[in-house]
Amino acid sequence: MTSVPPTHDSLQDGSLDGLTVQVRLPLDRFELNIDLHTKKHVTGIFGVSGAGKTSLLETICGVRRQARGIIALGEETWLDSDRGVFVKPSQRHIGYVPQDGLLFPHKDVRHNLLAGRKRGVRRGHPVQQTFETVVHILELGPLLKRAVHTLSGGERQRVALGRALCSGPRLLLLDEPFASLDVALRRKLLPFLRRVRAEFQIPMLFVSHDPLEVQALCDELIVLRDGTIISHGDPRSVLTASDIFPLAEQHGFENILPCYAVEGSGSTGQVRLGEGGDAERAPVELVTLRSEAQPGEALLAGIPAHDIMLATRRPEGLSARNVLPARITQLRSVGHVGLATAELSPDLPPLTVEVTEKSFVELGLRVGSEVFLVIKATSCRLYRTGESRGT
Amino acid sequence: MSPEVLSVILLTLQVATVSTLIVLLPATVLGYVLARYEFFGKNVLSALVGLPLVLPPTAVGFLLLRLFAVDGPLGRETLGFDLNILLTWKGAVIATATMSLPLVARTAKATFEGINPRLELMAHTLGHGRLATFFQYSLPMARRGLLGAVILGFTRAMGEFGATVTIAGNIPGRTQTIASAIFSAQQVGAQARADFFMLVAVVLGFLAILSAELLGHGRALPRMARP
Repeated sequence: MTSVPPTHDSLQDGSLDGLTVQVRLPLDRFELNIDLHTKKHVTGIFGVSGAGKTSLLETICGVRRQARGIIALGEETWLDSDRGVFVKPSQRHIGYVPQDGLLFPHKDVRHNLLAGRKRGVRRGHPVQQTFETVVHILELGPLLKRAVHTLSGGERQRVALGRALCSGPRLLLLDEPFASLDVALRRKLLPFLRRVRAEFQIPMLFVSHDPLEVQALCDELIVLRDGTIISHGDPRSVLTASDIFPLAEQHGFENILPCYAVEGSGSTGQVRLGEGGDAERAPVELVTLRSEAQPGEALLAGIPAHDIMLATRRPEGLSARNVLPARITQLRSVGHVGLATAELSPDLPPLTVEVTEKSFVELGLRVGSEVFLVIKATSCRLYRTGESRGT
Repeated sequence: MSPEVLSVILLTLQVATVSTLIVLLPATVLGYVLARYEFFGKNVLSALVGLPLVLPPTAVGFLLLRLFAVDGPLGRETLGFDLNILLTWKGAVIATATMSLPLVARTAKATFEGINPRLELMAHTLGHGRLATFFQYSLPMARRGLLGAVILGFTRAMGEFGATVTIAGNIPGRTQTIASAIFSAQQVGAQARADFFMLVAVVLGFLAILSAELLGHGRALPRMARP
């Protein structure tokens, strides 16, 4: 995977269509009551299971006929129940990728990918070109003739994603597309989603309760609880907000920082934080475990908030490989823990650090305090994006 | 094989084939509707569809006889012309079709129930309307089960006796099928003739089920429909 063929203009020109979803739908335990307007490229939908995420996507698809309200994308209105407007699911131009793939068992991979071709052609979408792009970026070439029951879980989900894209959708709905896969495999599929994001300028709603996926892919994040939106904003701020942070507690919050590989030495690897595009004033480097990444390869570094230590003086005689000067920009309590936001450099996204409230007091931490972040090399996870520096 | 014996076998195959062709579409649609939709009176419809499975076949035959009798709702006096059903091979077709429809419909229903309805929703979101989804997705995905249903219906039609004999009679060379030929032969003590037709019935039935197993990779008869 070195280069991607140029995409047709229709996918790249202009800004994105705004999506409006103002709907109410009675569910078993509560009412889905959503008021969402977005013009962002990828909007993440986060929430514990049973919060109404799938119901929301199904309502947007039009398969929940009882939903009342307004759903519109750009100039197109799909639902306006007060004016009696209901556009059938088949006419909505939505690409839907469900958790379980739902590939058609009676078609091979190629014909699954082309299942939505007719509608794409009717809309004047260059289906053949999209098909080629999709096969290329999702690396489906070797699978095209396979029967779907011979595919692995990850392959199935890639085909499901490709099928949705090939129908020439105006909106892409991803319902935890990789939730049924194990973590290692999910990490391998992340680059595919990043490529889709880079290649297709269509609005996407991406349901996930994986903090990494959300931060690596989404421009903004909404959080659902009992059918309503309880938070809406940029993914990092939303995930570290005091009312949301506990929701991710089972995995904990993981700081995700763009970085790229630089030459490591011996048993350790080394990455430089940042996108790598601009001239860096004071590059911040992070020592990690040795990885397979080539120098210059764009990566995401993941550092769990509870794996970072704070020190007010530079510690010595320590095994941790990273001791990084930083400045505290925010301090707050979430339940029993304290969250400190620390800035390594104005050019980099800040890091969230989880410590006890007691430490706040004993270290005398204040906003503006100069501190050192102590991070073990083994706490730095590296995720490949399949991209190279500056792309 | 005498021409008379051959005509019994051919007539049996003819009746079963025509009756299966007649039943196929309505039974598939009924099975689909019963599997996928909720509507007022669904239970009543389902019970009516299953009725011939639980009634004595002679009762079904007699009901049809009353329907097509000269003074019945579909008889000559009501319609003004004669449908020419009673005591003909067409009568046998109607009797066997009535008896095999519930079996085909219920097997079709079980087959459609075994297909994830979300696959059909997926077809909708990919731009296919209801009809296109039914013909391009639901039917092909159900093909194995439907094939099994058809073979069940065909074998049911070949073996039908009670209803057929009531409405079409048991006229050698005209309406006598393998089932009624065995009955007649046994009644008059024609042991060899009864043995012969019994063997023919066993061979035909066995071939039908075997072909279903082979075509469907052993999964052609997914869930046998029961009343």
